[in-house]
Amino acid sequence: MDVVASEWLKVRTVRSTWYLLLGVVGVLAVGTVVSILMTAEWDRSTPEIRAAFASADPTVFVVPFAQFAFGVLGALVATSEYTNGMIRTVLAGVPRRLVVMASKTVVVGVGSLVLGTVVSLLSYGVGAVVTGDRPAPIAVEPFAEALPSLLANGVGSAVIALVGLGFGLLTRSTAGALVTLCVLMFVIPIVAVLLPAPWNNRVVSVTLLYLPSQFSGALTGQLSQAEAFTVMLVYLVVALGAGAVVLVRRDA
Amino acid sequence: MIEVRELTKRYGAVRAVDGLSFEVKPGYVAGFLGPNGAGKSTTMRAVLGLDAPTSGAALVNGRRYAEIRRPMFEVGALLDANAVHGGRTAVNHLRCLARSNGIGVKRVAEVLEQVGLAGAAHRRVGALSLGMKQRLGVAAALLGDPGVLLFDEPVNGLDPEGIRWIRGLMRGLAAEGRTVLVSSHLMSEMAVTADRIVVIGRGRLILESSMRELADRFKRDVLVRTPDVAGLRRVLEAAGAAVVVDDGALVVRALEAGDIADLAARHGIAVHELTPRSATLEDAYLELTEDSVEFRTSEVAR
Repeated sequence: MDVVASEWLKVRTVRSTWYLLLGVVGVLAVGTVVSILMTAEWDRSTPEIRAAFASADPTVFVVPFAQFAFGVLGALVATSEYTNGMIRTVLAGVPRRLVVMASKTVVVGVGSLVLGTVVSLLSYGVGAVVTGDRPAPIAVEPFAEALPSLLANGVGSAVIALVGLGFGLLTRSTAGALVTLCVLMFVIPIVAVLLPAPWNNRVVSVTLLYLPSQFSGALTGQLSQAEAFTVMLVYLVVALGAGAVVLVRRDA
Repeated sequence: MIEVRELTKRYGAVRAVDGLSFEVKPGYVAGFLGPNGAGKSTTMRAVLGLDAPTSGAALVNGRRYAEIRRPMFEVGALLDANAVHGGRTAVNHLRCLARSNGIGVKRVAEVLEQVGLAGAAHRRVGALSLGMKQRLGVAAALLGDPGVLLFDEPVNGLDPEGIRWIRGLMRGLAAEGRTVLVSSHLMSEMAVTADRIVVIGRGRLILESSMRELADRFKRDVLVRTPDVAGLRRVLEAAGAAVVVDDGALVVRALEAGDIADLAARHGIAVHELTPRSATLEDAYLELTEDSVEFRTSEVAR
């Protein structure tokens, strides 16, 4: 517990954590503005044009950004100690390296799960307030229907943050971890679209950003909920497992 | 108590430490000396369990470091004062470390006071001078009031006042019965701080001795000038000395200056000069490590 408390204190006492959260708040603000503008446009439009509208729910735009931010945070929890050498002092204080790693995992996992869920709920709330009692398609989904995917977004945030942590421990370099994370989150889905069917959809369905909505059941057609959950677990086991092996085996 | 036993650490084809064995006991300052690249830092990292030995072992109080549950209470180390996250304040940096071993904020305030950083507690570490970072690193090492302390080149970057402070600190810690190992590549620094030294070069032990033994060992010879070079030489050699003639003077080993004077007087030989010559510790060190300097500059530099 002492080590978890120490890791928690470490996360709170660096500015990068607060900058990242500030960034998430900023994106939430931008999402709010977009939602308001969309709704205003809806109000001015004819019924034919209204039919072509999508929901003014900012979640679709805010959550992927927030998840990437949590991924960055997870990576930094590991790499910020390697770039300056502080990791040596940390491991001299706690020589059982897996304890250090488990503590980082708890802090990053729980933190991003809670914050990711909060961001997702807030974002949905903004959409609900802005669109008010307007009908579909501009309105957000009813809360009861949206809730599973909102919670899944929190889970997705935790998965991405922990994958970031695993890559951070693996590469020991901020740039290395973030490039890997970017490729997995953003590049592969874009490249996959160019693949012939059905491989395009198959590949996209197993990428980090599309797993939570399949896990919640909001997105159907490729993976079942159980399969999506399993794939998320595979991401965690591979990234954290590789990180753990390197942490234990390699000299600090 | 620190025990290094047959420690070998290979990085690829390079043996950074090669079959190194030595011990450091409580109660004195042990200087750990060697040219840059000799393997001092690698040895210290092995003692702290940061680098896994290729073979051999490094023990602290008879145990491998990794087996110690709350190491800060047993071992304190300052390896690299710059190895800190520049964004944290000094007090937060120490609180993060202290918390991992269940050490409270009160002790953090105490060590900050002890190293003279109480006034800078809320400054960001990145904004501190190297000297202040060294003090912060010492504070971190002292958090658990440990009985074993390791300092890697602690005087680097310190101003004269800081150097005097850290010398006093190390001697004080040793006088309290702690085990203190401090590395340096400067003999002159060790000459005023250490009671015993361990000299290594190219990862191998060159010498382990007390400073006094070292000074005695490098008491070099006695230079004698006399009008009767051949006569005195015969007398001294008969008494067991090793004598060579150099530029009209006798260079005598294995006899003390007093004995030489007595012998000369007994045989009625005049002596014009009698100078005991000892190598400085710096010379002794250079002589010891001559063959093991990793990156040699041209002779002109010496």
